[in-house]
Amino acid sequence: MSKRKGKDAHLPVGECITLVQQILRERLCHQQLPDKPDGIEAQHKHLLELLKRTAVHGESNSVLIVGPRGAGKTMLLKCVLRDLLEEKEAQKNLLQVHLNGLLQTDDRIALKEITRQLHLENVVGDKVFGSFAENLAFLLEALKKGDRSSSRPVLFVLDEFDLFAHHKNQTLLYNLFDVSQSAQAPIAVVGVTCRLDVLELLEKRVKSRFSHRQIHLLSNLTFTEYLERVQTQLCLPDDFPDSKFAQDWNDSIQTLCEDKSVEEVLQRHFNSSKDFRSMHMLLMLCLSRVSVAKPAIKPADLLEASRLCFADAKANMLHGLSILELCLIIAMKHLNDVYEGEPFNLQMVHNEFKKFLQRKSNSMYNFDQPVIMKVCINMKPLSKFFLPFNSFPATRFLESNTLYCFRCSSAMIGRITVNIYIFCMKTDKFNIFPSKPITYTSCFSSPSGLRAPAAAGADPTG
Amino acid sequence: MTALLQHPGYEEERLQRVAEQLPCREVQAGLLLSLMGQPQQYSYPSIFIYGHRASGKSHVIYQTVGHYSSSLQLPHATVSCVECVSVALLFEQVLLSFFGCDAASLLPRSPSLSDFVRIYKQQCSQSPAKQTRYIVMEKAELLRDTDANLLPALLRLQELVEDNITVILLSEIAWDKFRPNTGCFEPLLLHFPDYSKGELQQILSQDRHPSYSAELYSSYINILLGVFYSVCRDLRELRHLAALNFSKFCEPLAEGKVKETDTHKLWRNIEPHLKKAMQTVYLREVSSLQWEQMQQMEEKETGALRGLSAHTHVELPYYSKFLLIAAYLASYNPARTDKRFFLKHHGKIRKTNFLKKNEKTSNHLLGPKPFPLDRLLAIFYSVVDSRVAPTASIFSQISSLVTLQLLTQVSHDDQLDAPKYKCAVSMDFICAISRTVNFDIVKYLYDFL
Amino acid sequence: MSTSSVSKGCFVFKPSAKKKKTLSLVDYFTDGCEGAENSEVRFKLCQDLWDKIKADTEVLQDELNRKILDSLLDFTRKCSSTPSEIPTAALVLGVNVPDHDMTFQSLSELLQQSVTPHVASVQAKECGALKHLMKRVLERLMDTVVTVDDEEEEGEEAEQTEQTSAQLHKSVHCSLGTLCDWYNTKTKVSTGTPGKKRSSPAKDEQQQPPVVIIFKDLEAFNPRVLQDFILICSRYIERLPLMFIFGIATAPSTIQHMLPHSVSSLLCIELFQSLSCTQHLATVIDKLILTPKFPFKLNGKAMQVLISIFLYHDFSVRNFIKGIQLALLEHFHSQPLSVLCCRKKEALLHMTQLSHRDVERIRQLLSFKRYVEKQEQQEQVNLLKDDNHLKEVCQRLIKDLNKYHKNYYPVLRCLHTLTSSLPRYPLGKQIRELHLICLEKNVWENEDYQTAMKLLRMLAKDELITLLQRCAETLQSVKSKKMKNALVQLEELLTKFKQLDTAVETAPTVEESFTSPVKNLQKKTDLFQLQKTLLEMNETRRSKKLSPFEVLRNEALDFIDGLVRSYLSPPESQTLNEVCYYSSSATVRRHLNATPRTSIQAALSSPYYYLQNDNLKTEDGSVSNAAPDICIAYKLHLECGRLINLYDWLEAYATVVSAAEGNDPDSDNFGKVDEVKHARFIQAVSELEFLGFIKSTKQKTDHVARLTWGGC
Repeated sequence: MSKRKGKDAHLPVGECITLVQQILRERLCHQQLPDKPDGIEAQHKHLLELLKRTAVHGESNSVLIVGPRGAGKTMLLKCVLRDLLEEKEAQKNLLQVHLNGLLQTDDRIALKEITRQLHLENVVGDKVFGSFAENLAFLLEALKKGDRSSSRPVLFVLDEFDLFAHHKNQTLLYNLFDVSQSAQAPIAVVGVTCRLDVLELLEKRVKSRFSHRQIHLLSNLTFTEYLERVQTQLCLPDDFPDSKFAQDWNDSIQTLCEDKSVEEVLQRHFNSSKDFRSMHMLLMLCLSRVSVAKPAIKPADLLEASRLCFADAKANMLHGLSILELCLIIAMKHLNDVYEGEPFNLQMVHNEFKKFLQRKSNSMYNFDQPVIMKVCINMKPLSKFFLPFNSFPATRFLESNTLYCFRCSSAMIGRITVNIYIFCMKTDKFNIFPSKPITYTSCFSSPSGLRAPAAAGADPTG
Repeated sequence: MTALLQHPGYEEERLQRVAEQLPCREVQAGLLLSLMGQPQQYSYPSIFIYGHRASGKSHVIYQTVGHYSSSLQLPHATVSCVECVSVALLFEQVLLSFFGCDAASLLPRSPSLSDFVRIYKQQCSQSPAKQTRYIVMEKAELLRDTDANLLPALLRLQELVEDNITVILLSEIAWDKFRPNTGCFEPLLLHFPDYSKGELQQILSQDRHPSYSAELYSSYINILLGVFYSVCRDLRELRHLAALNFSKFCEPLAEGKVKETDTHKLWRNIEPHLKKAMQTVYLREVSSLQWEQMQQMEEKETGALRGLSAHTHVELPYYSKFLLIAAYLASYNPARTDKRFFLKHHGKIRKTNFLKKNEKTSNHLLGPKPFPLDRLLAIFYSVVDSRVAPTASIFSQISSLVTLQLLTQVSHDDQLDAPKYKCAVSMDFICAISRTVNFDIVKYLYDFL
Repeated sequence: MSTSSVSKGCFVFKPSAKKKKTLSLVDYFTDGCEGAENSEVRFKLCQDLWDKIKADTEVLQDELNRKILDSLLDFTRKCSSTPSEIPTAALVLGVNVPDHDMTFQSLSELLQQSVTPHVASVQAKECGALKHLMKRVLERLMDTVVTVDDEEEEGEEAEQTEQTSAQLHKSVHCSLGTLCDWYNTKTKVSTGTPGKKRSSPAKDEQQQPPVVIIFKDLEAFNPRVLQDFILICSRYIERLPLMFIFGIATAPSTIQHMLPHSVSSLLCIELFQSLSCTQHLATVIDKLILTPKFPFKLNGKAMQVLISIFLYHDFSVRNFIKGIQLALLEHFHSQPLSVLCCRKKEALLHMTQLSHRDVERIRQLLSFKRYVEKQEQQEQVNLLKDDNHLKEVCQRLIKDLNKYHKNYYPVLRCLHTLTSSLPRYPLGKQIRELHLICLEKNVWENEDYQTAMKLLRMLAKDELITLLQRCAETLQSVKSKKMKNALVQLEELLTKFKQLDTAVETAPTVEESFTSPVKNLQKKTDLFQLQKTLLEMNETRRSKKLSPFEVLRNEALDFIDGLVRSYLSPPESQTLNEVCYYSSSATVRRHLNATPRTSIQAALSSPYYYLQNDNLKTEDGSVSNAAPDICIAYKLHLECGRLINLYDWLEAYATVVSAAEGNDPDSDNFGKVDEVKHARFIQAVSELEFLGFIKSTKQKTDHVARLTWGGC
């Protein structure tokens, strides 16, 4: 960000836009830290206190930050650290170790990482340690400062804390908590997780050593707060070089947020999820539509963005299917109904399809087995429709005989049939269906069929 | 197209060129570009692009991000998840294309994610990104099969390596199928819709034959789409079909029988061939060259050359044929019916006697059932006409049939005492076989009683 | 149970058959074979003969494969691949997989000579996972190049390979990318040094030699692996001119079943069909068996065994030839007089050197005895007493035998040409069938032969002429005197037919009146109809005088008949045929088509059969109690039902054994179970379990389940 303090320096629009993009993208994509953590001041204060005690007075501590994804756990932590490091004392004392459950997938790796982050590789060299504990102890020992016999406080940040709980014997957690319990080297263990039940994951011995401090980030903000938050996220800072432009921009944002339709949209989002991330995604989509030609966010953009966010993937995928494929899916659906959700194989599907063709002779070419098989196999990647049922490996010849389960709500089927119907209206070449809009039952209702009398009862149409 | 043309941060003419490369995908490309923002700006950590096969996902990415000389050259790494038999390969390729091979060589023997991130960090601290770096992962659905941490880590890679990097995932499967059960960083979803008929028309018309007019070709494409669109919307397949049939289409023109304007005549000429092609759509039976041969052959009524699936006949030794027949019977007849079929004097067993109640559907629809070896042999000995000694080669033939995938061994390989098999051939195949040894198999099949 | 194909038989070859090249072989051959004195000679003969046969077969193979291989080569040369598609040749070879190796071998050699140095062939069983497949391909390709390469590149080539191998050890680098780089350097090198261009012509016509990957057995591959591999390859196609060759054993539709559309659309497949193995066999028989070239012959039964193994069990020509090899070896090994089974000259020579014992052997020969009986008194005495006289006679006989062979085959072919086109093939379609008939007994006594002749006698003129001409052609190539004048006669006949045309006065009415029924005779294949027409033709013939054409036709066919009667007599009728004809079909069958199960049961139920010990001799199939423990246990278990109570079994066993030890039945410790007996019993049982007759069962404790049935 440009730090120029030039008042009312008029920049060309293009440049302004570029700057705007830059600043806002910093916020939305890169999670740039806000100046003050709004909404969670309490937690912020609490955590800051804790860490200060470790950093300054050398008390050991352990705490968990728990909250749903995108609730701002990491943001909180980062803010706290930022503020913490503003103190001289802490700054020169505190050592930080950042671990992430995604990366340090087992304790060996974790330990290596710790060593690295404490810059002790050369100290450790190629010593061999009997146990994990020894190793850790040695590391902490090595941090002793020359003059005072007190060793420097270390802050352990464990992101994705729950994943560490899956490590073998939870050795790492055990030792960290153990150290934090006993008055050895002063360390603070901060776990960040999205699992409320995280304590259940801990073994007894580990749990007992954990000071059951938890900081919950269950945001209970109201819609108005949500609105404000949106606004603040979009507003430009005061130190924006072109104050005029910034003024206009902020005003436009103001008006945007007051717009009725926008409010509805935001309401919907608010109801679905009130966390930062999803909001960021939405705003990001809006922002991406800002250009030199259109140097402001219009309600339309927001609508469009939310449309993208709420797009129904399945429907999208369905739309891409050709008529043949749709017919086959309907055939599957029909089989599924007739056999009450028992698995079926592609052979059956083909039969259904053929019966359908017999009834509508002129509708569509009759395809041979191989073609149908190919088509069905093509549809496999969008496996939402039908999944392999039995684990028996389908050899090439047997491909037609492997059993599948149908995975498709009838609502969706309804959508499919409508699709087909629309298509048929559009195309004159094939009239696949009778003129009245059809549903799968009507287009497959077959008084005579392959099924034995026993099954006939199950047939909703028969 | 306007969306592309005016996008700050990239040279105009490059965008222009890219735009030309992307017919009917301007909207998506524009959206993508605007999301990517200007090169030096941050972009969203992870973008997930999904759409059907041949809906231009990779194409758009290649054109915009890089990989082609014409495209805007942005720092990027393209990785196909098929190719990454191990994550090591993935890491290696990424590091290689960002920092050169010396960085890649830093990777330890079997690198973990943390190694990767560590190396990446130290590398990009040496050469920080002036532009957004992109990792493009094709066939991302395969990431689900690798270790569970990989996908979530990739999704928030930007945060993990603290660099201006964006991961773009391409897949044919919707995002819902990816989400791990503990949730993860949600990527930005982007859908590439399938080409509409008009768009297909437009795209296909582009690769027209130089020696014919554009109008003719587009009318040809029009006819083609009219026939095939309902069956297949796969651009690649349609291209193939167009290439196959065009020579046929303009035959009368070459002979000078018809004028280009006379579309109706042309249609009547091409229609039967398209119908024929309809039967083999998706099958890729023949190379285009052989297809032409076939066409000529049919004219002079010597049609001998057929597509792949036409040849299903397999020559087998005499006993192998009977073994196969026995296997087929064993896996499509209920075991309890063997007595009736193969006992000489099974007394008076009518079908109703051993017809179980509520047997809904025929065994042929349910597919073959596994059967033990001795049942196979029992049926074999009763089916084969002459008296056969249980020689070693009989047994070896069974296992040979397995290796030929005409039988499949269900039980595990090392189970010696009672191996189980399934018969893996289709009805008409077995019928053909039994005809050659004039054995009426239908008489012995429970379904056709 | 993992075999390569239908053709996997189990071969119990004498070790000598396998390692023929080693030196110790001769004495290996000699020991245990009777008539050891001239065994070296026989061994020598055998070896030479086999080498000849082998060479011929190889030539034959190449000829047979040439056509398809050439078309494949063309395909690889033009290799006009659209950038998106990988050119692929689907090569259908039939189910006789053992024969394929040879084909692939020659194919890859040809490719490397003429098209590209970069050829890798992979098998399914060595690439279970994508990684392995990759690794194999890379290794093969790079290695091939190294071996092909010239000296001046050796240095950098070597370090190239070692680095690549280093990479290969790290499977990280085992990707097609490395292959691409390697390929680029390779092509640069090869084009950079123009001196070597001459050595490999392929590089002249196309700058970029393709990289050919041969999948030997497509069916066996794991489709998943294959699909992934193809997907990967297609990403590199514009950088790397790849092409595939699929070896398919069953049917091309396999590809459809294995590859989904998304994958198969990446390939541009062409189909190549090799000729069927039955044709293959026909040619082999024609070139190897039906020729006087090799003195060694198979008699009817042995031949029958080999052919039926081919037709019923495996379609493998290779195994057929192996069978011949076995028979050859057996013959020379078991038949001392086989020393005479060689060229005429050598045979005569050997005849002079025969020892007295051999001469005696000759006198023992059935055919010779028959011959002797035919002679008058004095001659018989001479033959039986005077060795030298016998030798002279035998020399003549050998000559006769040679003549017999010289004439047999051409006549056989003639007969086949005549009969093979008749309706319902009375004498068989394939010449091998006719051959078998002739080997069995006199053809002309065979009623099929009679019907065939009848049919021939009704042939229309033009057909008859064409057939006769074909016969003449076959005869032309033969050198023997008899055949020569047979040919002369035949030509005379043909000329007579010609003159018949010129002779105008023979009314065409007569002509067609007889040709027409024959014409429609050709059409109908119903036997009853056939007979009827035959009859009426006969009486018509009787009723009216014969037209000149018929006269001629009868003449011609009588002539043919004469040939048959004089030359197609079965070999058994020939004197000294035992010298050349290998007759023990049982041995061949036992070796090539073994029945392990039955032999095990034989061994168990009648141990005497194998260990020739007299006190094991028993009658009525019961086992003497002196038999080995396992036999006794086996015998006892035959009397039990599905489940066998181990303790009862032990009891019974103990009684039997103690009876064998001969302690008296009424002593109290008779049939007592002591440790030794117990141990022996346990051992026997475990052996039985090992042989798969019983197995332990969960159903009942201290019981075992029987796995076999019937008291065999």
